Amino acid sequence: MFRAPALIAALFAALLGFLVASGRESERARGTGRGPDRAGARTERCVSCHVKPEEDPGGSHSRAALGCASCHLGNPLAFGKERAHGGLEREPGALSTAAMTCGREGCHPREAARVASSLMTRASGIVSVDRFAFGEIPSPDSNETVADALAAARPTPAGLHLRKLCAGCHLGARRANRDDAIHGNGSGCAACHVARLTKVDPSRAHPPIDAHVPNDRCFGCHSRSGRISLTYEGLAEVEPHQIGGGSRPCAAVKLADGRPACRVAPDVHQTAGMSCIDCHLHTELMGDGMARTHEEEQVEVTCEACHGPVRVGGEVPWSDVKDAISLEIRERENRREDFLRKGKREGSAPDAPTRLGSRGTPILNLLRNSSSSSSSSSSSFVWTLIRKLDGVVLPVKQTPRDANHARKGHERLSCSSCHTAWAPRCDTCHTTFDAARTQWDFAAGKPTAGAWMERSEGFSWGPPLLGVRSDGRIVPAAPGMILDIDATAVDGGKTSRRLLAPMEPHATGKKARTCESCHRAPAAPDFEVGTRTGFRGLNAAEKRRVAAARLEPR
Amino acid sequence: MGGSALTEAPPGGARSPSGDLGRLAFGFLAVSALSGLALVPFFSPAHALESLERLHDGMPWGFFLRALHAYSSFGLLVTTVAHLVQVLARRTERQLSAGAWWRSVLLFPLTFLALLSGFVLRGDAAAAEALPVWSRIAETVPFLGPELQRLLLGVIPGDVGAISLHHAGTFTFLLWLITAEHGRRLVPDARSLVLAGLVSAALAGAVPLTLGPPPGASPSGAAQILLGPWYLLGLQGALVDLPVPSAWLAPLLLVLLLGFVRGADGRARRLLLVLAGAWVAAWVGFTARILLLAR
Repeated sequence: MFRAPALIAALFAALLGFLVASGRESERARGTGRGPDRAGARTERCVSCHVKPEEDPGGSHSRAALGCASCHLGNPLAFGKERAHGGLEREPGALSTAAMTCGREGCHPREAARVASSLMTRASGIVSVDRFAFGEIPSPDSNETVADALAAARPTPAGLHLRKLCAGCHLGARRANRDDAIHGNGSGCAACHVARLTKVDPSRAHPPIDAHVPNDRCFGCHSRSGRISLTYEGLAEVEPHQIGGGSRPCAAVKLADGRPACRVAPDVHQTAGMSCIDCHLHTELMGDGMARTHEEEQVEVTCEACHGPVRVGGEVPWSDVKDAISLEIRERENRREDFLRKGKREGSAPDAPTRLGSRGTPILNLLRNSSSSSSSSSSSFVWTLIRKLDGVVLPVKQTPRDANHARKGHERLSCSSCHTAWAPRCDTCHTTFDAARTQWDFAAGKPTAGAWMERSEGFSWGPPLLGVRSDGRIVPAAPGMILDIDATAVDGGKTSRRLLAPMEPHATGKKARTCESCHRAPAAPDFEVGTRTGFRGLNAAEKRRVAAARLEPR
Repeated sequence: MGGSALTEAPPGGARSPSGDLGRLAFGFLAVSALSGLALVPFFSPAHALESLERLHDGMPWGFFLRALHAYSSFGLLVTTVAHLVQVLARRTERQLSAGAWWRSVLLFPLTFLALLSGFVLRGDAAAAEALPVWSRIAETVPFLGPELQRLLLGVIPGDVGAISLHHAGTFTFLLWLITAEHGRRLVPDARSLVLAGLVSAALAGAVPLTLGPPPGASPSGAAQILLGPWYLLGLQGALVDLPVPSAWLAPLLLVLLLGFVRGADGRARRLLLVLAGAWVAAWVGFTARILLLAR
C-alpha cells in the first residue's frame, strides 16, 4: 500500500483534485459580492451584491437597518448567490412564513398573530354564506375558514364554487394565486403594507413598505362581491353590453382588470379625500385576536362615532381608554410629533376626549378642535379628523338635533339607511357549472377541470333596499344572491335563492335620500331569508306602516 | 512505548501485525489534526455558521482546507473500521495486551464523538437539530447524565464553545494518545502521512463539501427529516422507534462485544463476532430505513 506505485497514483489523484478545486476557487472568487456586508449591526452579506439604490425599500425597513434576510429570509451569511438564495421568500409577509418575516420576534409578532385571526384572512363570512346559498348548511354562521374550505379533500359544490371563484381574495392567498382586481405586490402583510409596482415607476425594484395604506391596495379585493371600493370611488360595475346601449346614461370607464363601470356619485368622504384607513380602526383591519364570522362583527366604527350623537360611553377621556395598542400608537405619535400633531388638539393631556368604536377602540385621528372647544361657541366643527395619508385636517360635522333627525317612527333607522345615495345590485345572477371547461383552482394553484360560469342580464344601481337586523335596527340591504345555481354537473342540485344581505354600500351622500324614495318606492320583492341570522326584509306589519305613511304622487 | 519504537518506521507489508490500514489510519488522524489546526484561527464557536461560510466561500481555498479536514477525518473512521476487520480476520488481537486492546476498542466511540462534534460545529440547520438530540442522549445516561451533558455540551443551550473545545482538544488528544500507544509510535511514518494527505486532497478537490441551510430559515419548509451525518444515520434510524437510551446502550454493547473478543476462544469468540456482525447489520438496516423515510 505504501509502495511507490500507490503513492504515485495518489499523487496524480491529488493533482487532479487540485485542478478541479482551482476551477471552483476561480468561480468562488468571481461569485462573491464586493459591497458592504453589514446591516443593522449584523452580518448581512446580501447587501454586498444588492447595492443598487432602487433595491432599498427605504424608511424604517431600509436596507441599512434591516438588510434583506430579515424579510426575505435566505442565508444572509452566505457568500455565493446559490446558497444565499436558498430558502428565499420572494413575498415577505405571506402568511405562511409571516412568523419568520414580519412576525418574527423583535418585529411585529403581535400584529402577525392578529392578522392570522382577522376576517380578511379567515374569510369565514364568504365561506358560510356561500355554503348557505348552496343549501349545504342551515344557517350562514359557520366558522369554517377559507383555508379549511381549500383544504377539503372532497369539495362539495359550494366548496368547488369557493375554490374556483371566491377563494382568491383573502390574505393567505399568494400573489400568483390571487384574484384581486389590481394585483398588488405581495400577500399577507404585504398585500396592504407594500406599495404596488406601477407603470409610472418601473425602475423601482423594491417598493416602499409603510403603514399609510392608500385605497388602491384595498381596492384589489374590496372592488369585488359587495364592491364597496367601487361604490366609494363612485363607480358602478356594469356588464359590457350595458355600455352605450343601456337605458340610463353611463360615463364609462374600464377598471384595471378590464371590468367596465359607469361613473356615479362618489362617497362624500371620498370627495373629502379620505382613505379607507381614515375611518377603519386597527381592530377591524388587523383583527383583534377574535375569530369572527361576518364583516359587521369585525367592524366597530360607526357613523355616529365621528358625527354623533355618540352612544353612551362612546366619548371618554384618554385616561379611560383601555385599548393598549391605541395607547401605544398615541404615545409613539406624540413622541414623533407625527401627523397627529398637525391637528389642533388639546395636547396629550389624559383628560382630552376621544371617541370610540363600538368595542372601545379610539378613533386615533379624530381629535377635538381646541380652538372651537375653548370658545365653547357651540360650533358644529368641534371635532376634526386628520387624514392619515397627508395630514390634512378636516372638520367633522356633527349630526344636528333638528326635526329631520328626530322624526317619529324613524328611530330604528341607521344613518346609512337615509344617507346612502346608491348601491349596486345584480338581480339576475345565474350560476352554472360547466364540467367541460377548465378554470383556475385556488386550492391547486393552477387551472383544473370544471368551471363555474356566472351570467347576468346586467348590473344596476340605485337607492338601497332596507332590511332589519336581528337587533331591530334598519340598515341598507342588497339582494345578495338572488341567483339560480345549477350544480347538477357536480352532484349538486338546481337551487334558486332570493337572499337579502345587509351592506354598507359606502356611497354616502351629504343629502339624505328623499322621503319619496322609500315611501313612494315600488313594493320591495319578498326575500326568502337574509344572509345573516336574524336579518330580514320588512315584515308585514312594517310594510303596512310604511304603506300607511305612503306619499301621494305629486 | 520505547524511544526507538516511537521514531523508527515500522516494518511494512507482511511483517506488519495486521497489514497497513492501521498505519494509514494514523496518517489520516495526523492529516485531520493538522488541517484542523489550520482551521482553528478561522472558526468562531459564537458564530459557527458565519465563520464557516466565510471560510468556505469568502476565503481563497478555504473550502478546500475544510474539505481536507473532513475527508481525512472520514478516512480515519473508514480505515480504523477496516483495520479492526483485518485484525479480527487475522486473529491478531492478542498481539496487544488486554488493557491496550480495551483502550483500542475505545477508539471507535472516540472517533465517532470527534466526528459528531465536528458535524455539530457546522452550525447549520442539520447541526442545530443534532445538538438537542445529542444533549437528550447524554441526559439519559444513568447517574452521570446531567453532568455528562454539561461536560460535553456546555451549560448554555445552543452554545458550541464546549463542543469545539472537546473536538479540537479532548477527543483529538485522546485519539492521538491511544493511537500512539496502539501503534507504539508517537507520530505516523512519513509514507502513511503522505498517502493519507494525498488521498484526502484528491477527495477534497474532486468531491466538494457543502454547508447546509441556516437554522430555521426555509420558508418552503425543510425536509420532514433532516439527515444527520452519514456515519450516524444508523443511530438516527434506530431512534425513530427505539427509546433514547439505546443511543448509548447500543454503542456500549458493541464496545463490550469487541472488547471481550480478545479473551474469548472458539465458540465464544464466534458468538461474539456473530453478535457484533448482527449489530453492524442492524446499523446498516437502520441507515437504509432513515434514508427511505427521508425521501
